[in-house]
Amino acid sequence: MQNSTAIKENMLDNTVNIEKAKKMEVFEPRIIGFLCNWCSYAGADKAGAAQKPYSPNVSVIKVMCSGRIDPQFILEAFKKGADGVMILACHPGDCHYKEGNYRAVQRHRLLLRLLKQFGIEEERCRFDYVSAGEGDRFVSVINETVEAVKKLGPLKI
Amino acid sequence: MKTAVYFCNCGTNISEKINPEKVEDAVKKSNGGIIFKSCGFLCSEEGKEFLRKDIMDNGIEAVVIPACSPRDHEKTFINVLSAAGVNPYMMQMINIREQVAWVTEDKEKAAEKAVHYINAAISRVNLQEPLEKKEIDVSPDAIVVGAGPAGLKAALSLAEAGRKVTVVEKSPTIGGLPVRYEEIFPNMECGPCMLEPIMGDALHGNASGNIEFLTLSEIEDVVGSYGNFTVKIKRSPRYVDAEKCIGCAECIAPCPASFKNPFNCDMNERKAIDFSFAGALPNVPYVNAGVCLRFNDNDGADGGSCRLCIDACPVGEEVFKFDEKEEIIERNAGSIILATGSALYDCGKISSLGYGKIPAVYNSIEFERILASNGPTEGKIKTPDGKEPQSFAIVHCVGSLDKNHKDYCSGICCEYAFKFNHIIRNKIPSAKIYHLYKEIVIPGKESGSLYRHAAEDKNTVFIRVSDINGMTVAEESGKKVFSISGACGSGGGAGGGEIEKRGGEVSEKISVDAVILCPAVVPGGDMDGLAGILEVVRDKNGFFEELHGRTDVGKSTIKGVYLAGSCHSPMDIKEAMSEGMAAAGYVLSGLVAGKKLSIDPISAVVNQERCSGCKVCIGVCPYKAISFDEKEEASLVNELLCQGCGTCAAACPSSAIKANGFTNEEIFAEIGIMLA
Repeated sequence: MQNSTAIKENMLDNTVNIEKAKKMEVFEPRIIGFLCNWCSYAGADKAGAAQKPYSPNVSVIKVMCSGRIDPQFILEAFKKGADGVMILACHPGDCHYKEGNYRAVQRHRLLLRLLKQFGIEEERCRFDYVSAGEGDRFVSVINETVEAVKKLGPLKI
Repeated sequence: MKTAVYFCNCGTNISEKINPEKVEDAVKKSNGGIIFKSCGFLCSEEGKEFLRKDIMDNGIEAVVIPACSPRDHEKTFINVLSAAGVNPYMMQMINIREQVAWVTEDKEKAAEKAVHYINAAISRVNLQEPLEKKEIDVSPDAIVVGAGPAGLKAALSLAEAGRKVTVVEKSPTIGGLPVRYEEIFPNMECGPCMLEPIMGDALHGNASGNIEFLTLSEIEDVVGSYGNFTVKIKRSPRYVDAEKCIGCAECIAPCPASFKNPFNCDMNERKAIDFSFAGALPNVPYVNAGVCLRFNDNDGADGGSCRLCIDACPVGEEVFKFDEKEEIIERNAGSIILATGSALYDCGKISSLGYGKIPAVYNSIEFERILASNGPTEGKIKTPDGKEPQSFAIVHCVGSLDKNHKDYCSGICCEYAFKFNHIIRNKIPSAKIYHLYKEIVIPGKESGSLYRHAAEDKNTVFIRVSDINGMTVAEESGKKVFSISGACGSGGGAGGGEIEKRGGEVSEKISVDAVILCPAVVPGGDMDGLAGILEVVRDKNGFFEELHGRTDVGKSTIKGVYLAGSCHSPMDIKEAMSEGMAAAGYVLSGLVAGKKLSIDPISAVVNQERCSGCKVCIGVCPYKAISFDEKEEASLVNELLCQGCGTCAAACPSSAIKANGFTNEEIFAEIGIMLA
């Protein structure tokens, strides 16, 4: 396996890349979306099954439960160049693991305070609820976040 | 690690949007010429065979499958990997159909996204570990707590399927609440008679050898977990040998000591040695040591010398065991079914209704006993002064639908209230009956009949009251006088259309001889004790909380501890019986004799050397799967109870918990490559 730097170089060579986009002065933000397996990931599938197009700027990382999302993951994403991070969880009371989403929301609130100190705007780190049936909601939450981060411009830290 | 990417075109569903050749080029360049193959339909029989063969032919150790949602075919490919001899946890499926191809308009961007996802998955799968499912031996036996309808049905169903069952019942008799009811809704069946065949089968039927009844017993302690619980049961002495006693009742009449019979709600007396009621099962009397002279007189060498019961016994002295002591009995079981039942909301908490202060103001169980032929009045409706009441107020919704008391409707009170109406009408044809209610709730295909009888009865009056718990009852020369403010409804009335009338009478003050309060159903028994011992969660009303309120009502929050009957929600006998059967079903399908229980390796693991012992993880685990290992001064995950959510791993300040399948390293790798 190659290290990530090598991969990065190859990626830059071979795909439509961010630098190019920036040069063209069209800012395409890179956003990491942490989705829980049971609700929000299924909500994304629902949007897919309905073939509802949405902005491609959010890369999804699946975890079993939003409670698994360690604040370190979010910081790591910003460190590695993400312009935004999303955490999508089951609605209150619907968590497959009963209360993981409550932990996730608590941690998110605390993290926002910390991000502020780093100069990272609140809008760059969105927490929201999407159920397995809410394909439309998934699409609108993604598009809203991408638009909000586009307005803020690239992350400067 | 030899890794391969198997790209599924899904017909044209994926390949139409995401060009496989372009993706292949990009992925191979980023990953040093990694094996990359595409296939028309990887989930088809040909596709699966291609996958299996290719993995085996090339000695592939880790697999990335860009295809549909893992919801569709992750299990399919897990099976293929297993068939190919590769550990199924060495696979990463990427959802480029639902989450890329179908939702990205721009083909270039779709391909770019797919490449990012595949690269991230390759880096991740190389960090994944070949996890193994563990298997443990389990006990197929069960403990049932509570011998009411739900518990009996569960025990009998399990015993008939060949399982050993220990039924732990705190009272001296089995049958639960319905054995106290002479007749039950909706068809006026006799309660004890309805239960008799089930109790008979459980005690003496073909499967009775598989059921052990421990009466006068309570759960003292439980250790272990699903599959292997060790349960300590405290059994209080009965002082009568159930094996030797023939249940002839000769001992009862000579007994000189008596006390208020709790079974009849203290409305009459029973002897120190007695049955709870005529026909109680098991058919063995028990001795109340708090009253019996042998325990409370000091006229003999070891306490009291009274032996009137012994002398009256046709079997002989060996039936009596006055030296019997409290006993701790230990049983092993794989599952525990809680069927501890319910009780009535304490009407004394609504002091304006006069309960406990004014005579002939009964709660519904007291009135059930008055109606029962084996009750304190032998089935004759009589108030404490010995008179037959000529007018009744049956008050529905007592303490229900009221945020100051219980905000729910118990769903059974209206049904038995109309049953009372029917029985009173039969016993006292000229009686005047008022129904004071907030709402009438009579669900079910059979419940219309009793309601209609009451509604069509000339001497029955329905008054709808907006605030049942705000009514006041005063005693005026032997009569119970209701002052109803805020009576409402659709009919005419003194308050300008405020009182609904169906019997032709309107009044805001009504005066009756007897009052029957139908209170909210609340959790019964020692819920605190049991919840504490088993660590099961209780809801805001104190009932045991279901794992899921719709899809898993029979499961508690603790794996292997099931719920049946009204211990988790108010319900009628029919539902309780079904729930007993359902709980038995969980046990039968979950644990099979001779079959080991396999444990999903997607669980949390504590690195005890790294653990600081802060116990944060213990608090966040919703399944009580983490305990503190005092010897190692570190947390320990019970992988049987762990459901793999990973909340503890995120909470651990020392990063000492590994979430198998979703480790920090795996997720960091995904983040890094995704943003590369």
